Amino acid sequence: MTTTEHNIADDPGTPRRDRLRRAFFRFSQSRLSMLGAGIVTIVIFFTIFGTVLAPYPDQVAGSVDTASRFLAPSAAHPFGTNELGQDVLSLVMAGTTVSVLAGFGVVLIGSVIGTLVGAIAGFARGWVDEVLMRLTDLTLTIPGLILAMAIAAALGSGFGNMVIAIALSWWPGYARLVRGEVLAAREEVYVTAARALGATPKRILFRHILPNVVSPIIVKMSLDMGFAILTVAGLGFIGIGVRPPTPEWGTLLSVSRSYMPDYWWTAMAPGMAMFLAVFGFNLLGDGLRDILDPKARR
Amino acid sequence: MLRFILRRLLLLIPVIVGLTIIMFGIARLLPGDPVALAAGPNATQAEIAALAVEYGLDKPIWVQYANYVSGLAQGDLGTSLLTRRPVAADIKAYLPATLELVFAAMFIAVAVGIPLGLVTAVWRNRWPDYLAQVSAIGAISMPRFFLGLLLQLCFAMWLMWLPLGGRLPIVVIPPRFVTGFLTIDSLIAGNWNAFFMSLRHLALPAIAMSLSPLATIMRMMRSSTIEVMQQDYVMTARALGLPSRKIITKYVARNAVSATLTVIGLYFGWLLGGTVLVETVFDWPGLGLYATKAIVSQDMMPVIGVALVIGLLFVFANLVIDLLYGVINPKVRYS
Amino acid sequence: MTASDQFNISRRSLLAMAGVGLATTVFPRRLLAQSGGVLIIAAGQDIPNFDPHTATGYSASFFMRNVYDPLVRISGNPPVPAPGIADSWTVSPDGTEYTFVLNKAAKFHSGNAVTADDVVYSFGRALKLAKGNSWMIRDIVTAEGVTAVDAGTVKFKLAAPFAPFLQVLPWIFIVEKAVVEANLGSDAGETYLMTNTAGSGPFAVARAEVGTLYQLARAPEAWQAGGGNLEGVIWQIVRETATQRLMIQRGEAHIATDLTSEDMDALKSAPGVVSIIEPEYRTFSIKMNTQKGPCADVNLRKAISYATNYQAILDAAGYADLMNGPLPTGILGFDANLVAYGNDMAKAKEYMAKSAKPEGGFKLRMFHVSGLEQQRRWALIMLDSLKQLNIELEIVPMNWPDMVAACKSPETFPDLFPVYQTANYGDPDNIAYAAYHSSRNGAWQNAVYKNPEVDALIEAGRKEIEQAKRVAIYGEFQKKVVEDAPDVFGVLERRKLAMRDNVKDYHFTPVASNAIEAWGLSLG
Repeated sequence: MTTTEHNIADDPGTPRRDRLRRAFFRFSQSRLSMLGAGIVTIVIFFTIFGTVLAPYPDQVAGSVDTASRFLAPSAAHPFGTNELGQDVLSLVMAGTTVSVLAGFGVVLIGSVIGTLVGAIAGFARGWVDEVLMRLTDLTLTIPGLILAMAIAAALGSGFGNMVIAIALSWWPGYARLVRGEVLAAREEVYVTAARALGATPKRILFRHILPNVVSPIIVKMSLDMGFAILTVAGLGFIGIGVRPPTPEWGTLLSVSRSYMPDYWWTAMAPGMAMFLAVFGFNLLGDGLRDILDPKARR
Repeated sequence: MLRFILRRLLLLIPVIVGLTIIMFGIARLLPGDPVALAAGPNATQAEIAALAVEYGLDKPIWVQYANYVSGLAQGDLGTSLLTRRPVAADIKAYLPATLELVFAAMFIAVAVGIPLGLVTAVWRNRWPDYLAQVSAIGAISMPRFFLGLLLQLCFAMWLMWLPLGGRLPIVVIPPRFVTGFLTIDSLIAGNWNAFFMSLRHLALPAIAMSLSPLATIMRMMRSSTIEVMQQDYVMTARALGLPSRKIITKYVARNAVSATLTVIGLYFGWLLGGTVLVETVFDWPGLGLYATKAIVSQDMMPVIGVALVIGLLFVFANLVIDLLYGVINPKVRYS
Repeated sequence: MTASDQFNISRRSLLAMAGVGLATTVFPRRLLAQSGGVLIIAAGQDIPNFDPHTATGYSASFFMRNVYDPLVRISGNPPVPAPGIADSWTVSPDGTEYTFVLNKAAKFHSGNAVTADDVVYSFGRALKLAKGNSWMIRDIVTAEGVTAVDAGTVKFKLAAPFAPFLQVLPWIFIVEKAVVEANLGSDAGETYLMTNTAGSGPFAVARAEVGTLYQLARAPEAWQAGGGNLEGVIWQIVRETATQRLMIQRGEAHIATDLTSEDMDALKSAPGVVSIIEPEYRTFSIKMNTQKGPCADVNLRKAISYATNYQAILDAAGYADLMNGPLPTGILGFDANLVAYGNDMAKAKEYMAKSAKPEGGFKLRMFHVSGLEQQRRWALIMLDSLKQLNIELEIVPMNWPDMVAACKSPETFPDLFPVYQTANYGDPDNIAYAAYHSSRNGAWQNAVYKNPEVDALIEAGRKEIEQAKRVAIYGEFQKKVVEDAPDVFGVLERRKLAMRDNVKDYHFTPVASNAIEAWGLSLG
């Protein structure tokens, strides 16, 4: 782990564009990362166009066709139809939008809350730090899924509520990460210098410290994306999640569970979609970590 | 060392207080009317009110909280509104099932993950290593409940090799309660039939649970092994011409395992809270299933109880891991 | 009786089962042939607790029907009262006085005879606790109204005439006074009876594993006539219906209680499985908010009733029959000639034109119980149906407690609210009173609907003793309710049970038939 390659990315003397280019080169050298990027591109494509491209857009909006229930996979319905005669492929395609946006929402809200808490704790230190970090540790002790389930049950069903419920159990990791980075950054020469020049604490925090913790946050967000999608699906699987007719992978899987083994196809498509999307994000996250956060690389 | 343990145990108190406050806060948020539900569909308003009084739910939240905490001091976790059973007794019945599942999953993950990690580190950057790395990310990406369903579909529904769910076939009388782990209890009772039966039931859910920690442990083990192998003393040992098998088993593995321990500790807590989905798939009568049912009926006492027990176990597991460090690496001092 | 006593009762059958256990290591799939006379029921619901005067749900009903005895049982199809602890009974001409003569053979598990004193005590306890099934006799039986004439005779003086009195008696169970009194505690013995029993039923608790299974064993003192050859019964909790079905298919359970229509289809060709698909008094309808919002307008309610795609509702329900009005088909007073709403877009548009917003373009809200698959399907069908009237539907899945809370006032009640209603007793009063009488406003069965004329008919129906007059009253009641269109009348879901063919002497009774009465059954 002492090759010169990574040190380049760390070297503040290198012009930014150059650093980026090298990072991109390294990234493209890793076949796994490229595979991840490829899958994620497809996933994002379906996130944007899934609902529009679905062969039966009416059914995505809730139309039913009870005359053609439980049709096995065929040319007209590549993944078969479900208990209401809806085209499973259409539901899974449109489900991409729901699942990926929900996952992204969770990670985004979680990272914003976590960054704020961590930055304040790391910067203020003293009792504020103590209180915030105890709260963070405490939240970490409560099993995440159970906490999210309880909050989601309290807030009621719906896309937004589900995202908020999961995000509220998602922030502590970011708080710890950011606090650590802030504490480390405080001791850096340029921060000491800025302070000596009379910069206000606010300016130091926003201009000097936070920009430097951005890359570990982005790495963590990309690594978390997959797990957030999994958690969203898990909540849907238990039956606390979006409202019908919104198609969501976990909910689709939980409904189709009762029809196994005879109508197994209703479960296969949402399950595989989930797996592929998470797989893509995890590969991509690993690759990003390698180039953006060489310290973490092993 | 004893002082270290005592101090860490004392730290549990603020955890208990904090946990209960947070969970009580969530309970307060609930819009529904669990009392009306518990009173039954045909109860009159007066009967509902009487039930609320009986459970102390008519009082302000801080009084309820004070009552709860004073009960907690006596090991009373409150009463489920829905079943009217004491939560502590329920948890005593469900916790061993969850722990047995978690330990079995952890056992598989460690027993397979650590050797795999060592092997892939030694074969670093050759094709078995690449294959293992891709599979590991695949394993982490696999939703546990989907994996559980696939295992169930394949081994329980199509091939019919293993049971669909539950802990024991109902015609097998469970062994006398000692640890609550059916595998261990049936061994204690010398009941081989019950032992094999419980293993058969444990297999699929434990595998579904173990895949993700297995992959993480393997990756951790691989990277810490690579790190250790580049340390001076290993280089020296190599230069001195010690056989590489000896180097790996004697120096590398030991040091790499100690780095992997933290992950195991963290995963233990994560698995405890993460059994919910697998328990749902395999109808495994554990804490997760219990909590899910309570959450859906907004029966908050069981939920608070489960969160508390899992939280404490999580803290406790980390304490044990810290102590284990000392056993593996005597250089660690507890202060 | 203490808990440890109970566990002794079935040592014999436990040993028998241990032997089976050994055998299953080798032949796990041939389990039932050797289950040693123990009937295995796979059911989705855990038994909440054992107290016959507080527990509710079909699992609790199963437990009480087999471990406790009521004065009167119910059997047959159509269901008629049959002797329980009471051997015979007489009714005064005005229908306010009932006298029951107890069976002299009736014995509690403790060996003591069941006396009139125990009966009086049990009714007093049920009324005092006011939980569980006691609502069925509320305002009809008073504690003072139940008296012991002698050790073997009990007299009830009803507070008001109540035609279906004999139909509700099967749900009030008799406990042994001496046992409860000895363990009274501070809560009328509730804590004690939660985990212990004081019954006279044909079975006693042998083994209880919370959340997993409950095993009952034939009580040595069983005094009831007409018993089968069962050694015991196991109520095994199997939450997934697909799992229940596979267990029946493979012979790992004798009876499954919660199967879906898809499961029944899959079992059609399974060897050794008997399917029981019978109409039962279990209605499904979608209540509308008759007080607040757009649905307060009867024209819109009728438009919705005509726009509903009933065929799709039926398709999604599988084994079910469409309803034509508020009462279940076949129940006393049911009017087969009632003109029902059907899917008729012309009429829907006609009524839509008379409503406040003939062009539609607004949004209605429908709640449903999250996780209840059947309700989710119906919600989607309503969404599809309302589209044709240019009405949007917002579907909100909710926890059951939230649903109950929403019923409290017309302001919180949604526009559409699906409700399953199971008749606890086979009398039209059960459904009419709970689902359409305005005194139930605020409760989930009838949150908002209020019509004084309908109220008067319901009250007249429950007081009238003479059959023919009741039929006339309920006929009028159905016409009035259909005219008001407070509900989208949906379907009667048929009861779907599956049994192994070695279960003998099973006779279907359409009252809570998923709470299996095991005494008369045999394993062949």
